[in-house]
Amino acid sequence: MNFPTLLFYTFALLVVAGAVGTIANIRNTVAAAMSLVLTMVSLAGIYVLLGAHMIAVFQIMVYGGAIVVLFLFAVMLHGDEHEELPPGRMRLVKAASVLVAICVMAGLVRALVGFPELPAAPVGFGRARQVGIALYSDYVLLVEMVSQVLLAAIVGALVLAKRKID
Amino acid sequence: MIAPPEISPSVLAPIGFTAIGAMVILVQDALLTRGSSLLGRRVTPAYAGTLNAFTAMLFLSLALYVTVVAFASGDSLVFQLANPVYQQDRFGSFATALLVVVGILTCALSVSYLSELGINHGAYYALVLASITGAIFLVGAIDLLGVYVGLELMTIPIYVLAGFDRARLRSNEAAIKYFVIGSFATAILLYGMALIYGATGTTSFGAIRDAFDPTSPVAMLGVGLILIGFAFKIASVPFHQWAPDVYEGAPAPITAYMSVAVKAAAFTALLRFVATAIGPETEQLSDVFAAFAVLSMIVGNLMAVIQENVKRMLAYSSIGHAGALLIGLVTGSPGGYAAIAFYLVVYAFMNLGAFGVVIALARRGQECERVDDFAGLARTRPGLAAAMTLFMLSLAGIPGTAGFMAKFNLIVVAIRADMIWLPITLVVTSVISLFYYLRIPVLMTMREPSEPPSRTGIASGEALALCLCAAVVLFLGFFPNHGMLPWLGLELPVLDWASDSVTDLFGS
Repeated sequence: MNFPTLLFYTFALLVVAGAVGTIANIRNTVAAAMSLVLTMVSLAGIYVLLGAHMIAVFQIMVYGGAIVVLFLFAVMLHGDEHEELPPGRMRLVKAASVLVAICVMAGLVRALVGFPELPAAPVGFGRARQVGIALYSDYVLLVEMVSQVLLAAIVGALVLAKRKID
Repeated sequence: MIAPPEISPSVLAPIGFTAIGAMVILVQDALLTRGSSLLGRRVTPAYAGTLNAFTAMLFLSLALYVTVVAFASGDSLVFQLANPVYQQDRFGSFATALLVVVGILTCALSVSYLSELGINHGAYYALVLASITGAIFLVGAIDLLGVYVGLELMTIPIYVLAGFDRARLRSNEAAIKYFVIGSFATAILLYGMALIYGATGTTSFGAIRDAFDPTSPVAMLGVGLILIGFAFKIASVPFHQWAPDVYEGAPAPITAYMSVAVKAAAFTALLRFVATAIGPETEQLSDVFAAFAVLSMIVGNLMAVIQENVKRMLAYSSIGHAGALLIGLVTGSPGGYAAIAFYLVVYAFMNLGAFGVVIALARRGQECERVDDFAGLARTRPGLAAAMTLFMLSLAGIPGTAGFMAKFNLIVVAIRADMIWLPITLVVTSVISLFYYLRIPVLMTMREPSEPPSRTGIASGEALALCLCAAVVLFLGFFPNHGMLPWLGLELPVLDWASDSVTDLFGS
């Protein structure tokens, strides 16, 4: 077993461990969110092994960073006191979640078995260089428009958050 | 067939003027609030706000000029040939011109309203311009990515503008509601785009058309989700629940802008998407649009009857108009699309006019929005009462007004397409709408005023905007196609412009 394969299995194990941790920590929401971070960051490791560095960075920034931070904010704002569902209701919720999980799993297995052979990705796919070239040649107009979106969002945030507009 | 588009940097002129205008206003506002006097006048917040509004209207006028020139030339231009995301053609220019005029009128209606509330800040006009930039990009987008970015740039400033009156709880509520539901709708739209990309391997409209397979469940699910996203934006039943609350809470000029510009831009983008990316003749789509149209017309007009708040009433009426507009989409023919384009123009002026009267009647910190506030207005404010009557008649579709021409046009197109039930629904719901539209003129003339008006003057910006709206509504009511401006010798065949513009979508 060579080194990259070893790394792949390590990351794969961490992904699964993080996912299990997310659902195992049913009482402690913060711990569940941190387990989700483990899953997301380990997935980014697998992307790096595939050579898609840029996608790995996005994975860490968006999923590992922004979305989990949003989760934590929601948890903090919601506070500690979470209403306990009555036991019968709780069992129903658990049964429903297991059912949904099984359905998703079955769907994925069915999609993957007999999935047509995909053409190989172009050389350098998902690397910073290729993404940068695409952004600043083919999609330069969109990049400029997104900068306008950011400008509008900054101005808007200032307008709404400033105590006194002068 | 459509001539292949040419490369030209001038495509960016309309977006450039509005985007640069937004930045100029931000800088100018910062300089004005720091300096103490300009041209010998002390810079008060009201003075600074007026100057900012003038700058906004100046840049919008420049954008209007380049758009009209582009429309007259009739060329299809793109910025680059590889992955063109934005195309300037007659269809886009027609909608762009409408959006820019709506922007100018919105600025004119805002100045005195905002001054009264003490929130006449430069950021307001900058955000309006940013929103129009996004709307222009949206109507010219020929790629799903362009649609998405344009839509975001159009709506993000409106989330803020809806909550611009921060002292009022209602305004905050409107902002947060619009933000949450708007983000949700955008997410659905984006999911649909991802599915279409997965099914066809491209985001460009033309390439989607070639690779689109109506029998593929993934592709149809993608199209369905995109349609749901658009239905949210145009406030069509059953995705309309946000509209009344947001329209009621937002500052009145923003409600006016939202009800007109967002609807026009989203409709234009939807027309372009349906016509050039999936093909207007797709059967399943017509059925979906027909269901949306009937539901919107019935629910919108019935719910409007029981409203006591004018802004809520106009919100439900705008849902009803969205249903009427969808009839044109059901036909899937160039005639139907041209009827939509004409209807959008007419709707913009009559709805802006109606909101303009509500704005002109607003007193410091207190909106004139209850229906009862209009009692006896014919005696106290005869000019405004006459204007409001005209706009209400036009919204209801009484002959002699532009609203009649727009609905008539739509009905003719629908009957030519062998549809019976949609035109009948339109006529029946228009009759229902007479009840709530005419209630206001009746109240204004028949009832005594409950309290003396606290404000009798009218700001010059409001007066100009209302006069322009009233003039257009009357003019298009009598001359929808062969109008001549007598003292200029200028011919204004608006219907022909609308039909010319849609030929870009269908090829000639």
